[in-house]
Amino acid sequence: MSTTSNEKLHLITLVGPPNSGKTTLFNQLSGKNFKTVNYPGSTVEYSTSKIQSKFGIDADLLDSPGIISLNPNSPDEEISVNSLYNHPEFGSPHLLITTVDVSQISRHLLLCKQLIESGFNIIVALTMNDILAKKGFEVDENKLAEELGCGVIKVDGRTGRGIDKLLTCVKPKLNDDVIDEIKVAHKIFENISKEKLLNLYKEIERIEKNVIVEIRNNNFSNLLQANEKLKILNPTLKYGSNRPDARTLKIDKYLLSRRWGLVFFFLIMSVTFTSIFWIANPFMDLVDKLFGYLSTSAAGIFGYTWYSNLIADGIISGTGSVLVFLPQILILFLILGLLEDTGYLARGAMLIDKPLSKIGLNGKSFVPMLSGFACAIPAILAARTISNRRERLLTIFIIPLMSCSARLPVYTLLIAFLTPADKALLAGIALAVVYLSSILGSIVVAAFINKFNKKIINAVDSSSFILELPAYRVPKIKNVIRNSFENAKQYIYRAGPIILVLSIAIWFLTYFPNHSPEVNTKGLSQKEVVQLIKAERLSTSYAADLGKVIQPVMSPLGMDWRIGVSLIAAFAAREVFVSSLAMIFKVTDEDNLQSSILFAMKDAVNEETGKPLFTVPTIVGLIVFFIFAMQCLSTVAVSKKETGGWRIPILQIIIFTSTAYIFSLITVNFLRFVGF
Amino acid sequence: MKTASELNFGERAIISDVDNSHPSFRRLLEIGFTPGQEIELVNSSAFNDPLAFSLRGTLIAIRKHEADCIILT
Repeated sequence: MSTTSNEKLHLITLVGPPNSGKTTLFNQLSGKNFKTVNYPGSTVEYSTSKIQSKFGIDADLLDSPGIISLNPNSPDEEISVNSLYNHPEFGSPHLLITTVDVSQISRHLLLCKQLIESGFNIIVALTMNDILAKKGFEVDENKLAEELGCGVIKVDGRTGRGIDKLLTCVKPKLNDDVIDEIKVAHKIFENISKEKLLNLYKEIERIEKNVIVEIRNNNFSNLLQANEKLKILNPTLKYGSNRPDARTLKIDKYLLSRRWGLVFFFLIMSVTFTSIFWIANPFMDLVDKLFGYLSTSAAGIFGYTWYSNLIADGIISGTGSVLVFLPQILILFLILGLLEDTGYLARGAMLIDKPLSKIGLNGKSFVPMLSGFACAIPAILAARTISNRRERLLTIFIIPLMSCSARLPVYTLLIAFLTPADKALLAGIALAVVYLSSILGSIVVAAFINKFNKKIINAVDSSSFILELPAYRVPKIKNVIRNSFENAKQYIYRAGPIILVLSIAIWFLTYFPNHSPEVNTKGLSQKEVVQLIKAERLSTSYAADLGKVIQPVMSPLGMDWRIGVSLIAAFAAREVFVSSLAMIFKVTDEDNLQSSILFAMKDAVNEETGKPLFTVPTIVGLIVFFIFAMQCLSTVAVSKKETGGWRIPILQIIIFTSTAYIFSLITVNFLRFVGF
Repeated sequence: MKTASELNFGERAIISDVDNSHPSFRRLLEIGFTPGQEIELVNSSAFNDPLAFSLRGTLIAIRKHEADCIILT
């Protein structure tokens, strides 16, 4: 052992199959509530923390993603299996705590046995003992410890029962003397032979028979009766312990019914999406008003100087444009988290697998695609759970077409322009149409790309769908809420700085070089002078120069350089479009950002033609553009990282953006032709 | 030779073998579809594919063509 590792804390890694209660145990040990989700394989990221000080053990704790066996089957699993032996950051673990769900003990012992045979130092934590007890059985932990040759402790991650006992078992294992003797674990299970696997399972089944015992207690007669019933229902089963959770089977009769399953599915999805918009709306208005107010006050405090302008237009409005859709992201993560935690999302994936497989996707693409409606970045990361490379790449490919929440401020603004303010329902319907077209668009694109699969995706692979449907559980609201906040925070960290920097860059481009132009102030009020200075400054700014370069591209769409500049800015991040319009049309001194932009938009005149700039055709054309265009730098970066090269992100930019331009062109000219 | 994809709803059967030539055979074995195990077809999606089997105390959804390589006794 090297000297440096003596200074380092001991490392304990939690390992277990998906849904084995691993993360719940992690939360108990770390005291920090982290992700506990039901969708198999969804803990892609590692969680780490120290063991709570009250337990008196000074060690690092690592929560690894769920794996089924040491023979990896997806990129996700490969990472987690490899980092078990040697984590790039934390090194090799001194001790593994392996979670085993006793209600499906034979399946979960497979990983456990493999870990022991590989030479890891392990302790087994038995979970879900209450579910097994409901069936009238329990595990004899002493016998199991004897069979496995390692410590076996029953724990209840929800109440924390058994944690103390687990830790008294952990302590002696962390003595430095003991650690020095640890053999190095070896990879012996990659590409394991069928024969070896079957022998392993035979051994496990023998152990299972030995350690599962009927509960004998006061409720003895009751349980015996229940058990008798099971045997009657199930005469060939030796063990009632091997039936799935009865309540789950009952719920599935409805939710997975062949007649109503899809109806429930679409109902749940529609409720999810409508509630995102309905619930988030008032909060978004609040954020919007707050930043409008801050911006106005800042301008008032600092007067008409360049730095006042920077603070009010650049920094405050920029921050506001990041935070305005925070409520939405929070609510989407909240609902997704709830669906995940109850166990429904895995069923959603199953229900939708067949239609998705027709366009070259997989049922497992469903959750990443759904997350894409919040933000493409976590969605692309979530695609790691798809084991098939071709399906994974195709899923990543079409995720940017999902209407992410960054597009919502843009749609909201554009739709508000089209619909009268007092008709909220009409705006809602218009938004639904936009979302439906984005879904339809992505289906068509996926089908198209699937057809030219070899040329675009460049990977052939056999498709598969094997997914555990976890038992239904009441979601742990506290965990879901914390998890949503965690996700929202990450989103702000990731997207926030880019958006802020770009807002300032756009401010710079629109403010310089002619920052204090000379204007004829004769006979004008103070306010009119300010407006005139602003207009003059802008039309001689760097942004104007840049915009005039792209004017030829914008003219066929009936748009001028000002929209062009905003669209360029939107390539950094879509929501910048709104703040950029606000800046270009110099909206600062109003209480409400959106209504003042709308006001400015209605007045705006196309500098080339002299006609109104924003008309029904140009607005609809812009919406169409935003449905298809690949406009987010962070998405491009993540897409490059996750697909392992520039090929896919560049194709995404070219295909989606040219589609966006062409469709927008067709829409604008068609609408004009029919007389709008 | 009957395979798992030919089961009726609620019908139980014992697995006799898993077809080695299928690309997912190892994952099927690892997840618990091993010879000697009893499975029951519990549910399916509205499109009759994938199928959900009860196995070793839990529910596993697999596609029909995967169920096809699970041979029953």
